[in-house]
Amino acid sequence: MLLIRRFEEMVEERFRAGELPGFLHVAIGEEACAVGVCAALDEGDVIASTHRAHAHTLAKGTPPNEVMAELYGKLEGCSHGYGGSMHLYDVERGNLGANAVIGGGLPGIVGAALAFQLRNEPRVALAFFGDGATNIGTFHESLNLAQLWRVPAVFVLENNHWAESTPASQQLPIEDLTLRAAAFGMKALKADGQDVEAVYAAAAEALDHARDGRGPVFLCLDTFRFSGHYVGDPQIYRPKGEVQMLRETQDPIEHLRAKLELPDEEFAAMDAEVHAVVDASVEFAKNGTDPRPEDALKNIYA
Amino acid sequence: MAVEVKLPRLGQGMESGTIVKWLKAEGEPVRKGEPLYELDTDKVTQEVEAEADGVLLAIEVREGEVPVGRTIAVIGAPGETFEVTAPAPAAPAASPVAPVPAEPAVPAPPTANGGRVKASPLARRIARERGIELRGLVGTGPEGRIVAEDVERAAAGAPAPAAAPAAPVEGVELVPLTSLRKTIARRMTEAWQAPAFQITMSADMTRAQELRARLVELQAGEGAKPTISDVLTKVCAAALMRHRAVNARFAGDAIELHPTANIGIAVALPGGLVVPVIRSCERRTIAELANARADVVGRAREGKLTQADLDGGTFTISNLGMYGVEGFVAVLNPPEAAILAVGAIEEKPVVRDGDLEIVPLMHMTLTCDHRSLDGATAAEFLGTVKAFLEEPGLAL
Amino acid sequence: MPELSYREAVRDALVQAMRRDDDVFVMGEDIAEMGGSMGVTMGMLDEFGPERVRNTPISEMALVGTAIGAAIQGMRPVAEVMYEDFLTLAAEQIVNQAAKHRYMSGGQLTVPVTIRTQGGAGWSPGAQHAQQLEAWFCHVPGLKVVFASTPEDVRGLLWSSIYDDNPVVFFEHRTLYPIRGEVPEELEPIPLGKARIHREGEDVTVIAIGRLVHDALEAAKQAEAEGISVEVLDPRTLLPLDEAAIVASVQKTNRAVVAHEAVARMGFGAEVAAVIQYQAFDWLDAPVERVGSKFSPLPFSPAMEQYVVPHADDVLAAIRRTVGR
Repeated sequence: MLLIRRFEEMVEERFRAGELPGFLHVAIGEEACAVGVCAALDEGDVIASTHRAHAHTLAKGTPPNEVMAELYGKLEGCSHGYGGSMHLYDVERGNLGANAVIGGGLPGIVGAALAFQLRNEPRVALAFFGDGATNIGTFHESLNLAQLWRVPAVFVLENNHWAESTPASQQLPIEDLTLRAAAFGMKALKADGQDVEAVYAAAAEALDHARDGRGPVFLCLDTFRFSGHYVGDPQIYRPKGEVQMLRETQDPIEHLRAKLELPDEEFAAMDAEVHAVVDASVEFAKNGTDPRPEDALKNIYA
Repeated sequence: MAVEVKLPRLGQGMESGTIVKWLKAEGEPVRKGEPLYELDTDKVTQEVEAEADGVLLAIEVREGEVPVGRTIAVIGAPGETFEVTAPAPAAPAASPVAPVPAEPAVPAPPTANGGRVKASPLARRIARERGIELRGLVGTGPEGRIVAEDVERAAAGAPAPAAAPAAPVEGVELVPLTSLRKTIARRMTEAWQAPAFQITMSADMTRAQELRARLVELQAGEGAKPTISDVLTKVCAAALMRHRAVNARFAGDAIELHPTANIGIAVALPGGLVVPVIRSCERRTIAELANARADVVGRAREGKLTQADLDGGTFTISNLGMYGVEGFVAVLNPPEAAILAVGAIEEKPVVRDGDLEIVPLMHMTLTCDHRSLDGATAAEFLGTVKAFLEEPGLAL
Repeated sequence: MPELSYREAVRDALVQAMRRDDDVFVMGEDIAEMGGSMGVTMGMLDEFGPERVRNTPISEMALVGTAIGAAIQGMRPVAEVMYEDFLTLAAEQIVNQAAKHRYMSGGQLTVPVTIRTQGGAGWSPGAQHAQQLEAWFCHVPGLKVVFASTPEDVRGLLWSSIYDDNPVVFFEHRTLYPIRGEVPEELEPIPLGKARIHREGEDVTVIAIGRLVHDALEAAKQAEAEGISVEVLDPRTLLPLDEAAIVASVQKTNRAVVAHEAVARMGFGAEVAAVIQYQAFDWLDAPVERVGSKFSPLPFSPAMEQYVVPHADDVLAAIRRTVGR
């Protein structure tokens, strides 16, 4: 979680320094969701992520060097410079890609789960998405079909109560989003998204259920977004003081640190280690290879 | 049902041909596949076969240049009536006499377009290639557009009203261009457009001459006698395989590198120059090349070359040695990347290791298309040719 | 040679692929017991069972997206979209996902999915059940687009589409399903990207796709009687396009007509005309003609429908215009 936190902070810094092209969305405050869920995955399970993908990608095992290099658009990046922040892929490590279209990755996850089912493989396909995505067509069609065919899929909702600048009250006619799963007869679980152990437990339960062939599961994680929607977002739509208050009371890293009663020096040492890794990733990225312009015409067709 | 005999398109890019003579007379029976008439195209004179059985009911065009697709005869059942559908030409096909300034039978030129002539891209290209002025042509396309047929008709009909000479000067004989001569003129002009450069080297022909003599001994009367030219062809083929960039043709937006050496041998005929091609020279022995060369040169002299003999060359050799020429520069044979000109083998004094020696030297000039080749590549190639001539074993 | 209907030919390709390969399966609306709204998958449920011949709910996005997801895992699903008008619903998954996964990942995965669909006017299906939208998908890098017009072609090309490792949008035409044609005894795969010349000619090339191939052949016969020799060429694969064959043909005949049932404006024919104009400019003796539907949604009333949609006589009129009559 700390790695993700420091990585995301560095991304904000590098962006402000003018070094990173494109759109960037950081998951500061949501680290426990990514870490808790990914820790529960088996080798062979696959995930699909959203536009806010750095946390999921790092938690799933892609080295920070490769993620940072991708943000810098280098060949050494996990998508070799073709995708950027919103299209981080690491297929070998089971990351089927981040999607810039809200809900765009969900049907594909149903398909992956279907393939596992048809081939009798004990693997699970898992999709991450936010509360905003529970309004879009692909969400409903995907959950409906997944439940109908009882495929081994898990749908993880990271409910941070904001869809870009639109608060829950302006986009969701209901409060309890597990009802969205109930509408399809799908099993739903809930957990505190700021408590990494709770997330892990719930994720493990969901994955077991799906892997056993008992059907897909909807996992609703209540979480908070400390940063803006995108890096550079002045968050003028957010009530004053909300972010400050959240940082003070809802920090998943602080929660775990308190729970484990981690001594300050140990934490500081961990932090220093993590900072070093993140700094190194920026060095690695900056020294990376720029693709040649004509490389743009490769990888279009198999 | 009477069948119209139309002038066929026998080769890519052929737009017209010249009927030389009819091999059947009106009223004579004809069978499908029998030679019907002799046709002179850009490069060869060949017999054209009848495509139907029947009687040659009528010959519409006796001789002269005819555009492709034009009806030249009719074959049908004896006594059958028929109608030729193609439009009759404005004037009879050009006859081989001094050009008469034509009467422009023109309607008002299309100035209605603000001076712009309406013509299809194809019509424009044909006009460009044949040097025909579009302005003044009658357009039969929609809205008076000049189409290809209109230009071809103009080309086959009255000759363009060129600035006629005031009066023919006494004693000057005007020789009209034959199809062949026109082709040579056109292609040489084309070649002149290519940015060319030349490199020269001389080769010590001692070992080549020895090789040739030995081969003649061994061959002992079987097939054509190998000549130095045949040795040179083989050596060039081997060198072309090592310097593939020279075995090339310029294709406008790309350079075609060919896998095999199809070498054209320049042959002087009374009417002009032809360059029949011997294919895949690198795969033939010198003896085989000698036979191929003898065959193709023989047929060239008899006017029996086919289109296939002339197409597909990747390199050309021109040898004026037998005329005593010491050395010369050949014009490129486009779109080939290079052409080798060689002169006579002459005993010349040469300094080697400080000693004066008499050596049989042959002067070689390689003319190259700079769009396909650079100096260094060309020099390396010619150097290899020289090395192989001076020590043929190196080519094995 | 044996004879199959176009419909049977499509089914034959599916069945043979599914027999050979467990990884091939079909999914779509009403394709199981009913055998598909056009009867294409009739009988396949009995042979292969409900796991491999899957009915889906009316969810084009999920239907196509699931096929995409399974394809990424190495299967070769064939998704059927009942009417090509409904491709509009699945377009997000086809255009944003299938076409781009390989690229955005820098080459890490392939999407060997085939999306079959059908469309076309005739017998008043109305404006939302009759569109011809192939041009839209030819505009998306990463996709391949096929539109076969004969039983032999549809069988050989569907097989090749299933086994192509790229996403293929495979168009069929509803009025072609019953037509019968000779097919080789053994299924012969036809490579994508290769045109077919149905009829050789000297005076004008007609480049036609789908139903218009047959109209073009009819027009060519009539034109022949008028002394015009017509060459009919069917590109068969629209993306990648066999430009070389088209250009070579027009360089031979010097005139071209492009014909499709889709609306003429901004249609597939526009691309072909541009290719011809550019690569065969100096060979053109007439402007390139385009035959397609008039610029309107498809009306219901039969007389109006006939008016909007092109037929053989439209092709013949275009042919005549190219030779100046």
